[in-house]
Amino acid sequence: MAKFALETHDLCVTYKRRRGGPLLAVDNLSISVEPGEIVGFLGPNGAGKSSTLKALMGFVEPSHGKAEIYGLPAGSVQSRALIGYLPEVAMYYPYLTPLETLRLYGKLQGLSGANLEAEIRNRLTQVGIKHAWNRQNRTLSKGMLQRVGIAQALLGEPKLLILDEVTSGLDPIGRRELRDLLLETRDRGCTLFFSSHELAEVEMLCDRILLIDKGNLIEQRDLTTLKAELREFEVVYRGATNLLDLTRDITSKDWETYHAKFRTKSELMEAIARIHRCEGTVVDLIARESTLEDYFVETIGRAA
Amino acid sequence: MNFRAIQALAGGVILESIRRKDLWVVAILGFLILLSASVLGFFGFQGLEAFVKDLAGSVVGLFSTIIAILTASRLVPEEIKNRTLYPLISRPINRFELLAGKLWGAIVVTWIAFLVLCGLTALALTFFHVHFEVIMLQYIFCKMLGLAVVCSISLLLSLLMTIQAAVTFSFIVAFGTSMITRAMTMGYDSASPLVQSIFRVLNAILPQYDLFDLGSRAANSGWGTVPLWVIGALAAYAVVYISATLALSWAKFRRQAI
Repeated sequence: MAKFALETHDLCVTYKRRRGGPLLAVDNLSISVEPGEIVGFLGPNGAGKSSTLKALMGFVEPSHGKAEIYGLPAGSVQSRALIGYLPEVAMYYPYLTPLETLRLYGKLQGLSGANLEAEIRNRLTQVGIKHAWNRQNRTLSKGMLQRVGIAQALLGEPKLLILDEVTSGLDPIGRRELRDLLLETRDRGCTLFFSSHELAEVEMLCDRILLIDKGNLIEQRDLTTLKAELREFEVVYRGATNLLDLTRDITSKDWETYHAKFRTKSELMEAIARIHRCEGTVVDLIARESTLEDYFVETIGRAA
Repeated sequence: MNFRAIQALAGGVILESIRRKDLWVVAILGFLILLSASVLGFFGFQGLEAFVKDLAGSVVGLFSTIIAILTASRLVPEEIKNRTLYPLISRPINRFELLAGKLWGAIVVTWIAFLVLCGLTALALTFFHVHFEVIMLQYIFCKMLGLAVVCSISLLLSLLMTIQAAVTFSFIVAFGTSMITRAMTMGYDSASPLVQSIFRVLNAILPQYDLFDLGSRAANSGWGTVPLWVIGALAAYAVVYISATLALSWAKFRRQAI
């Protein structure tokens, strides 16, 4: 059994251009995703996210390096049988209905008969489009088309879901429903790899994030650890207390009131206890949490 | 080869064409043929059966060729442009099956349009008291083979150039080949050996649409039917030609970045 659900080694994707020479969209990218993980693939516009996903799907051929899906060459028919894919902009045949659309994709996936019909209806119900499954796609809103897209990606119980801008076009209720659905899918053993600009969604869904820019991997972080790092506690106190072994980040504006910042809650609690022991006064307690957006902007800025 | 996938893809093309009302254009054309024939028939142009049959055959051939070219040449480029191709090629099918399914769908759509036109034309011909002959069935069968060849060439050209250019070139190939081959035949004896070789290669490469057109034979009563071995040879030629163009299409498309 393959160790990784998805793996790339020194992956390069180059596009030919009529003017200005070839464009290197992905530059020696080496990443891996373990089975059962939910991994967010982040980066600014033009960072190479979609190109990486296209290489994983076999839509473009790597100019160098390789990509594998569960140990199979990415882009092979066998590897694609394991994947459910949602493209960045969900477009489906305008004159077909969601039922007919999923029937077509289901047949291509190798499903047939009563199983196919049951699964189509089940998926469309899951994504909340049951009421519109007999309407032609051209009459559906962007959000509804995105739901059709999610339903088609889930057809055939894929082992790996590759989703490009998954929450695009969905309203807040739709996003919550999708989040629940994706978590439920993960609980059934599916691996999720998705790109998104909705960092709040990423924060709520992911186990890990991969950050890329200009085709290069900038950072990969475990989200639980990262969230803890993004948290900060501050105590404002009066009185002379030695806290320098807990933090060096102590400031004072008037030499009477001090501001001490801590990374962890235990350090904060210890500091409060010491202030009380030294008969100092705790004036204020502040808990601050930086967002993933702050981290994203800072990291990309640093890399640039 | 995944024939179920090919069938499913073709089904999608046919359903889209029907819903998009492409075939309504055919029905309207057919109605116009019917109307004009009934008017002519009402005023009674005796002895013009052969002319009317020839004209009807040419009109049906022209419109069905237009439908074949327009349907086949927009299959893949429009799917790429509209991004409907991504969910298709993310499925466990290879690109040859994708092209084969799309081509089969375009051929069936063209055949439906052609048969609808033929049906309406046959109805129109009753105004001229034209009787059914077996050669008419042979005409229909051979024309269907020719239309399938047109579809395969349009698909290939659409992968090599823009849709507009592919449509233009397809029309040139469909309507100009017979003139080119005729000119080559006329000039063959007086040409140098090198030019003769070029003529032979060109003659082998260019599709021989004229072979599939039994319109003139069907128009003239008493010319009799075409021997079955000839029909068989035409079918074999069509299959070989379509296979070759499909293989070339695949060679172009299989590594194309999408």
